[in-house]
Amino acid sequence: MSAPEKIAALRRLLAGGAAPSPVAGRVLRTGLPGIDDATGGLPLGAVTEVVCAAPSCGGHLLLGRLLAATRARRERIALIDAGDCFDPESFPADLLAHLVWVRCPGPVSRALQAADLLARDANLAVVVLDLRLASTAELHRTPGPLWYRLQRAVEPADLALVIETPFAVVPCARVRLELTVSHDATALGRARAELAARLSPVLQRHRLRAAV
Amino acid sequence: MFAVLHIADFPLHAVLRSGPFDPARPAALFDGNGKKSRVTAANAAGRAAGVVPGLTAPQAVARCAALAIHAPRPAAESEARALVLATALNLAPVVEDTAPGVATADLRGADPARVDAAARAAAAYLGAAGLPAAAGVARTPFLALLAAESSAPGAVTRVDDETAFLAPLPIEAAAPPPALVPVLAAWGVRTLGALHTLPRADLTARLGAEGLALAGRARGDEPRPLRAHPPPRDFTATHDLEEPVATLEPLLFLLRRFTERLALELRAVRLAAAGLTLTLRLEEGPGHARTFRLPGPTADPDILLRALHTHLESLRTDAAITGLRLDVEPARPLERQPGLFETGLRDPHGFTDTLARVSALVGAGHVGTPQPADTHRPDSTVLAPPAPVVPPPEPEPPHAPWGPPLRRFRPPLPARLEFAAGDRRPSYVWTERFAGEVAAVRGPWCASGGWWQADLAWSRTEWDIALAGGGLYRLLRADDAWFIEGEYD
Repeated sequence: MSAPEKIAALRRLLAGGAAPSPVAGRVLRTGLPGIDDATGGLPLGAVTEVVCAAPSCGGHLLLGRLLAATRARRERIALIDAGDCFDPESFPADLLAHLVWVRCPGPVSRALQAADLLARDANLAVVVLDLRLASTAELHRTPGPLWYRLQRAVEPADLALVIETPFAVVPCARVRLELTVSHDATALGRARAELAARLSPVLQRHRLRAAV
Repeated sequence: MFAVLHIADFPLHAVLRSGPFDPARPAALFDGNGKKSRVTAANAAGRAAGVVPGLTAPQAVARCAALAIHAPRPAAESEARALVLATALNLAPVVEDTAPGVATADLRGADPARVDAAARAAAAYLGAAGLPAAAGVARTPFLALLAAESSAPGAVTRVDDETAFLAPLPIEAAAPPPALVPVLAAWGVRTLGALHTLPRADLTARLGAEGLALAGRARGDEPRPLRAHPPPRDFTATHDLEEPVATLEPLLFLLRRFTERLALELRAVRLAAAGLTLTLRLEEGPGHARTFRLPGPTADPDILLRALHTHLESLRTDAAITGLRLDVEPARPLERQPGLFETGLRDPHGFTDTLARVSALVGAGHVGTPQPADTHRPDSTVLAPPAPVVPPPEPEPPHAPWGPPLRRFRPPLPARLEFAAGDRRPSYVWTERFAGEVAAVRGPWCASGGWWQADLAWSRTEWDIALAGGGLYRLLRADDAWFIEGEYD
């Protein structure tokens, strides 16, 4: 087969194998009004990017809500901890019974590989990829096809892939939320549930409506 | 009713299936490795090229330059023979190892309507495993063997009209004693049909007991009890490689063969694999052995192979591999109905495989469910394998968590502090990642432990600080040094 024929065959394959459009309503409710009211919940079979643009902006509070939401439904959640910064002692032990914690400090590409493997597993309801400590240069150097490969891995699954980043970097994110407000000193004396309820991420992108 | 699985040229196919081989390539089996060895069998491509039994190697190569020459390999024949018997054992519990490449199954009592389909499936399975088998189904083992020998690979011949089936067969099909062959030839008896027409009494009077037995075989013989082959008890496969290998593909090819056969044997005795032990013999050194625990007993060869494949992908040995052995730990298959609200794994074997692949990527001991350690020392969590079933949530704790959770910096960031004049509270902090004016401070909180054991003793003092530019952090003083231990997030 000549090169043009191969390219034509590849185009036909890609056109025929395109994933079906997401169905409205396939979402994971987080229990956070700031997210559920704006987006309906985290879309299943899609990538959600959470940009943590400020220090102490609540990225781990959101993670705690995802732990609680999946724990209540007895589903499994995986955390790919590229910065090795997750602190299990900050959460009640029962909230971690369904968690698969992957500690992988190192290059972003390795964390993406781990996410790719876990996103294809039928046993997980949520996969969280924490890239907040990755360097700016490394995130910019990450080839676009790697992100799209992740998107393709998630599309056929009933799984929400959440990527926490220090700045907007995931081109294929269907929903992009930005946490911009840091906790103040009084947050240390407030109940965590109250803090979570006050989280108000800025919705930067929501492609769900356009795709349906 | 008996069924016979028959593989023509069994030693040749046993050798060919023991390694990756293109079936379109001409191949022949010789009776030895010497110069005077002769062809004993050739595959279809070899026969088409003119390679016939009896030729020497130079004669065979002169007829077909691309001929692949093989010598008999007893280990390969044993492995193939075990596969044929395991396949037959999945047809019926009473099976006879009749001859190399011939297995007879006693199907008396089986549903006649399903016998043909089962025999066809068995022949197809063997064909897919590299042994082109034919099957025969008939009233007696002898008749079933004749039917199988007269069938093409993959086909099933069922003998309902015995007289019509036997009549055209040559007299040699009934294995006449050598002394009777010239006598029958002189009489002009060349087919079983011709022998069948002779009166039994006259035949016995002239040829004796041997003639009577021959006449019985010409009528299809009588059902006889089979010499029952015992069901497998040890589930082991082993192979010595002719040449040491250092790549994955030849090993996977052999392991695919192993798992297919072992899974068949397990299914034949209603068992499943609970664990696997893979042993690799190396050219130098002590070798490599690894035991795998499967998440649930299974007799699926694909799942068994996947567990081995995942391990071998990340395995590096110091020397080439000269042999391998696979042992299966048998167990009863799990047969239970899941609870209505039970949320077990949808695909337990897939989950184990995923975790093994991720572990191979990020390192063993870096994947699991966090479990609190038996200490108050901070950051002492250990990782345990994820539970097969997510337990029901416990009631809400009486003291709900306060404040945002901590994001740890591992290792803690060394910090420099500036203190305001006349105040013991920090007013400014510098680290390699951030710096800023301290707007608020809470603390200190002191903790210590392990004081009764010098190498385990720890002592620390913590503060929570808020920077004026944003950010809540945990400040730590330990071993007379300052650190930022993490960020409240």
